[in-house]
Amino acid sequence: MRIGTIKLSYATDEALFDTRVQWVWLGLLALGLMIFPFVAGPYWVYLACLVAINVASATGLNILTGYTGLVSLGQAAFMGVGAYTVAVLETRVGTPFFINLLLAGGMTAAVGVVFGIPSLRVKGLYLAIATIAASMILHFVFAHWPLTGGTRGLSMPPAGFLGIALDQPQKLYWLIIPVTALMVLGAANLFRTRVGRAFIAVRDRDISAEVLGIPLLQTKLTSFALSSFYAGVAGGMWAYFFRVVTPESFPLINSIFYLAAIIVGGMGTILGGILGATFMTLVPEILKLVVGWITPWMPDALSLLAPIRTIVFGALIVGFLIFEPQGLAEIWQRIRRFFHLWPFRT
Amino acid sequence: MDWLYLTEVALAGLGAGALYALTGVAFVLIYKATRVVNLAIGEILMLGGYVFFGLVAGAGLSIWAAIPLTILAGAALGVLVERTLIRPMLGESPISVFMVTIGLGSILAGIVELAWGADPLRLPEFIPNTPIFLGEAYVAPKVAYGAIIAALLIAGAVVALRFSRGGVALRATARDQGAAYSMGIDVGRVFSLSWMAACATAAGAGVIVGAIGGISPTMGIFGLSVLVVVIVGGLDSVAGALVGGLLIGLVEALAGSFLGGEYKLLATFSLLILILMIRPYGIFGTHEIERL
Amino acid sequence: MAGLTLGAVDARAQAQNEEIVLGGSIPLTGVFAFAGVGIHAGIQDYLKIVNDAGGIKGRKIKYVAEDTGYKVDASVAAFNKITGQNKVSLYYGDSTGFAKTINPELERKGTMIMAGASFASELNDPKKFPLQFLPGPDYTEMFGILMRHIAKEKPGASIAFVYSDTEFGRDPIAPGEKLATELGLKVVEKIVTPPGSVDVSTEVLKLRRARPDYTIFHGYVLAPIPEFIQQAKQMGMQSRFMGTFWSMDNSMVEKMGEAADGFMGVMPYRYYYDKEGTAPMLDKIRQMRPEYQSTAYMQGFVTAMLMTEAVKRTLDASKELTGANLKASLNTIKDFDTGGIFGVPISIPGNSVPVGRIYRFDAKQKQMLPASDWIQLGK
Repeated sequence: MRIGTIKLSYATDEALFDTRVQWVWLGLLALGLMIFPFVAGPYWVYLACLVAINVASATGLNILTGYTGLVSLGQAAFMGVGAYTVAVLETRVGTPFFINLLLAGGMTAAVGVVFGIPSLRVKGLYLAIATIAASMILHFVFAHWPLTGGTRGLSMPPAGFLGIALDQPQKLYWLIIPVTALMVLGAANLFRTRVGRAFIAVRDRDISAEVLGIPLLQTKLTSFALSSFYAGVAGGMWAYFFRVVTPESFPLINSIFYLAAIIVGGMGTILGGILGATFMTLVPEILKLVVGWITPWMPDALSLLAPIRTIVFGALIVGFLIFEPQGLAEIWQRIRRFFHLWPFRT
Repeated sequence: MDWLYLTEVALAGLGAGALYALTGVAFVLIYKATRVVNLAIGEILMLGGYVFFGLVAGAGLSIWAAIPLTILAGAALGVLVERTLIRPMLGESPISVFMVTIGLGSILAGIVELAWGADPLRLPEFIPNTPIFLGEAYVAPKVAYGAIIAALLIAGAVVALRFSRGGVALRATARDQGAAYSMGIDVGRVFSLSWMAACATAAGAGVIVGAIGGISPTMGIFGLSVLVVVIVGGLDSVAGALVGGLLIGLVEALAGSFLGGEYKLLATFSLLILILMIRPYGIFGTHEIERL
Repeated sequence: MAGLTLGAVDARAQAQNEEIVLGGSIPLTGVFAFAGVGIHAGIQDYLKIVNDAGGIKGRKIKYVAEDTGYKVDASVAAFNKITGQNKVSLYYGDSTGFAKTINPELERKGTMIMAGASFASELNDPKKFPLQFLPGPDYTEMFGILMRHIAKEKPGASIAFVYSDTEFGRDPIAPGEKLATELGLKVVEKIVTPPGSVDVSTEVLKLRRARPDYTIFHGYVLAPIPEFIQQAKQMGMQSRFMGTFWSMDNSMVEKMGEAADGFMGVMPYRYYYDKEGTAPMLDKIRQMRPEYQSTAYMQGFVTAMLMTEAVKRTLDASKELTGANLKASLNTIKDFDTGGIFGVPISIPGNSVPVGRIYRFDAKQKQMLPASDWIQLGK
């Protein structure tokens, strides 16, 4: 039961987490994440890592699409840039993983800016289509540049940390989860700064924003750079996770997946990116479980899995857009409100 | 320079381009009336191919009965989609509607795979296959006949748009919805009509595309090339779809034969970026001026 | 102390009766579903035969599979899940990408051997892929068998390669070209088609200009081969058309329609309907499944057979079931009779079984029929 919080200074008003209860919950979450790999099976740890990578990438896309209003269907291709950067650095240079991840982010940010240039001339749908073109061109580069190993792609050794090879999900978990947590926190804080607020102003009405003195090109390109940085780091983690990078690892459908994740989760909220990516990653797993249960009665259920997954994927996008455009984040808020206002409002 | 070869390649490219143009027209019809960029057009085309296959191979109908039924099924799908998915999204941001059509595409692809499996299939042969020679140059008969049918259908669409009642209503709605409404045009019906006509066209195109290259659940990728076609031509211009279709067909054919098959998509998408930088609204598109 | 010993004895007794697990990342859906469904059935059938006969030394073999949709990340997920929940000794993977991705993990675990649907030339390297094998010739070896046949039929013939722009498609092209020169054949054209392309008319024009005596397709299951052949024939081209393993299934070739007549290719196994000589295993398959089974089925079946044989030989030598031991046992297979699945007795000295035969489609019988003797490379 909580009706309101008193804010006595601007600092508290701007704070990310405004009540002590939230800090407690956050602490519990962190604790849970720390205990998780010790109590869960390897498969669940594997899934947790995958979810975290997708959260990182979806959060990046959320900066661009949810907060700046620039729709991109190139997120997967940008992840590919990060993944290839890490693979090339790891196999040819052998620099430590944190440098590789940072360089992957930087490299991808640079590429993102290049492909973000059309955003000055075109926006909305046209931009979305320009990013499709960008991902096609990047795919071609991956598949035909000798440095990226052509269609065969690159295989790479596991990340090393103080002589320990991070070759299993259980070990990589300690790399992926903290990095993702850091990235999500960074994104949340971004929108308390001038840059972040400029993004929001551009999203809400770019011409008005320009009139207010926000340099449009610079802001849009910054947003592209940041979002691509996230994609690059996520792609780098992906590379360490699967340890093989091929041009076929980052198809257009994955870009659609990330866009779907933030739509389902809720555009323009950090929580939305997290919830959406988690949800969209887990739905296929849940479907798999269900198929496992009904197999004794329906022996060919397994072969129906992929088409049903495709249908569910599409239906989730359509359903959320029509019935819950604010996404899972909104549902979450409603549940929260219910508990806050209970028992005064039922 | 081998002129004969060049001619042959160009003819093949134009033949493929005619199909792009036909599907592009379907795309433009929807955009003109409802301002929806329908990325599911490739999947609707695919569904047309599969419905035709189901009617001929499954239900045992003759080919000449199956074609009109396929087109009818396309029309029905168009109305259904417009009423259930697109109408509720009226007034939402264009991006949301765009994503709805992506979702729709995914649903359709899943349904096709569920019903017919993931294996590629071949449509029964119904296009005559005696080789055609234009002078010395060979044209694949399927491509040639496909292009002729496409040209006829496009001509039909243009005439209907120009002279029929529905066509005039559609153009009026595209020009100014409010004005059209106040002149007594049922704008809602125009929306349905445009989706109906477009999906019927796409389903018909699917039969031709399927007859040329076979059908598979991944056939929807055809829609991506069509997207390039309409962006290059201008989203709201039928003439643009025609020119864009032939242009992209030609570019793909030339890139494919002189650079190698892997350069096809690269060439079209580079062209797309180029056009977006120079003329973002396409060659024939309307340049919309934004005001506060 | 007593309790401890008891426990140890218990564990050993248990190990002796424990099921042996064959895990699988199987593409039951997606673009490669045609193969996955066959493979799935083939593995199940062979294991049923083994288990009905009492298993291997009393130990049954359990098959645990998951669908992957032919996507590498889904395959890895399936691998992690299956190996996390079972003690897996044998594994079937679905793609080259997966085989490469999982290889370090396979070596790290060291508990199993793996084969799969990929015949990639890269995997045919016992040093780099010590725990994997290919239940047939690799793609380059398939090209080798085809070209050996060509060189015999028409010395100095010109050939063209038509392949898809994928890892699968590009695999044997460069080594294939080298091999062609060695055999005195001329590669006059190499045509790449983008994946999923349907309209191939410009590519056919290119092929016509090259006028090859033979055209080898690689990297496809069906489309766009039939369209290619049909248009080429319409243009009056005399080229002969050939394919590799995954485009050689009889039901798939039949789907090509008119284009199928005279289509040739390399196949290491015998077809379901092949009644020549004695083939007890084929008889058994025909008895278990009265309707036609695909070549993918044969592939799954024979893979399970070779894996089981490796397990049997390891247990016979009373060694532990580790990856290295299993692979060593597999390599002891020499002049082994597969009950007629392979047409000749086979040996697995390295990672592959470089055996195959040329088949040609006969439009009247609607069947692929042998067009050559069994060709064994390196002999």
